[in-house]
Amino acid sequence: MNNSTFEKHRILLVEDEENLAIGLQYNLTEEGFIVELAKDGREALKIFETKEVDLIILDIMIPYLDGFEIARRVRKKDPQMPILMLTARTTREDKVKGLELGADDYITKPFHLEELLLRVKGMIKRKTWYKVVTSEKPVVSFGKNKINFENLTCSNANSNFTLTPQEAMVMKYMIENKGKIVSRKELLENVWHMNPDIETRTVDNFVARLRKYFEVNPSKPVYIKSVRSAGYMFED
Amino acid sequence: MKRKHFFFYHVVIFIIAQIAWLSLIGLWIYWYVYNYIVYKEVGDRVSPEVSYDITNVGPFVIGLILLVGLSLITIWIFRHLTVQLRLTNLYDNFISNVTHELKSPLSSIQLSLETLKSRDVPREKQKEFVGMMIKDVNRLTRLINSILQIPALEQKKIAYSYQVFSAGSAIKQILNESLEQFRLPADTINIEENAVCKFVIDIDGLKTVFDNLIDNAVKYSLQPAKINVNIRCNTQNVVIEFTDNGIGIDSKELKKIFNKFHRVYHQNIPNVKGTGLGLYQVKEIIKNHGGKIYVFSEGDDKGTTFKIELPIYQVFKKRFVAKLLKQSEQMKQVESSNE
Repeated sequence: MNNSTFEKHRILLVEDEENLAIGLQYNLTEEGFIVELAKDGREALKIFETKEVDLIILDIMIPYLDGFEIARRVRKKDPQMPILMLTARTTREDKVKGLELGADDYITKPFHLEELLLRVKGMIKRKTWYKVVTSEKPVVSFGKNKINFENLTCSNANSNFTLTPQEAMVMKYMIENKGKIVSRKELLENVWHMNPDIETRTVDNFVARLRKYFEVNPSKPVYIKSVRSAGYMFED
Repeated sequence: MKRKHFFFYHVVIFIIAQIAWLSLIGLWIYWYVYNYIVYKEVGDRVSPEVSYDITNVGPFVIGLILLVGLSLITIWIFRHLTVQLRLTNLYDNFISNVTHELKSPLSSIQLSLETLKSRDVPREKQKEFVGMMIKDVNRLTRLINSILQIPALEQKKIAYSYQVFSAGSAIKQILNESLEQFRLPADTINIEENAVCKFVIDIDGLKTVFDNLIDNAVKYSLQPAKINVNIRCNTQNVVIEFTDNGIGIDSKELKKIFNKFHRVYHQNIPNVKGTGLGLYQVKEIIKNHGGKIYVFSEGDDKGTTFKIELPIYQVFKKRFVAKLLKQSEQMKQVESSNE
């Protein structure tokens, strides 16, 4: 692993289980990250407000403020901050709640070190890639929809809303490949920077959410179309 | 959310059932009275000379009793259903909490092992990882034991090893061991001891009691925990008052805190980890020692006091204490024969 790629990237690790926090801190530091450790919700917000961080690894069940509340507050201040939820809670409701509140990824305990590191690196790479691509054309319009990729604010025919960084990245990738078929595998590799064998359903979930935002009738999409056995295609 | 809806549906069904019963009773009364009047009028016209004072209310009354009985049965079923729902809720919470408590140390062990396997970890750091794994294994063992101990406690099948101890010094020794185990500063617990009497206890059982109380005092406190333990003897009991400076307990919660699976939620300290078994275990252990435990709290931020009463050796020497010692001997014999 090329540690120099991640040098000076600062990770806020919010974990109250002492042993787990020590182990994670050691491994992330070995990978070249600078790690800020917070043992509860208050400490996490304090660090987030006073220091510049590139990614947050967030446990849900922590003292004072839970992970969901922290994600909500962080997302309000910084819509582009990558958040990885790391938790023992495995119910579908918890996952949905976490992702709805703006977590970009969700990993359940117990986890494999290699998988966690891959996801963390993927999220950092995506953030860097996203910064580069959005600087070229920050605002995109199609139909009655408008997306500002810099601050992640959007509007459709009915309302204004904000995308999560992950949603914005999927949208950005599809818009950049307008008129071309984008496979799930391609999205996982290029947007998630993940092994496509891991979870192709993740892509489908994100696309379903994007359709709810931008399509008048999500069951009959006009912009984000499904191409049978191939993937998706964005058309203006 | 789903469970709330489930409960709501039951309430609605219950109310509809009651309305149906009451309507039926109403209709029945109406029908009875109406027919009575009609028959009376017809009778008066056809044969006015016939006098009748037959008021055959028997079937009506019996029917009414049956209906009231059915209504009561419905209420009874509904109450049982509500209790069942509450238990299912508590059980679900317990499973969720235990899952968390199991997964956290397990994750930590897995992380340490994978780190040692995949990295060239320096010798000192290796020792640290091994130390952490041992701690996690101990934590898992304690958790599993505490869960497995509950049915044994309830059925009084715990292999206690009762012995006679000097009350003051035994409790002081337990508290000092707990202080060390929880890695708390020495001034966390202030002991006021004036107890020269003796009592019969299982030292491990009583250690579990104080471990649970100290653990709660630490977890449910916004500032560093400060605990005061007063130990004294009266004519019948060793009285231990364990007072912490924690967030206190609401009066409504006081009645429930010794219930199995029950957990206290406090908005100032959300996400306190635990299984909801600790204080239940405490109560059962004290009960098995022939003692009693009470809890007092003046409310939010006013701390909590647990008062434990354990019988002293002299008073119950011939009865309960003798029984405990005998029980302990029998258990030892069973254990040695098993070996």
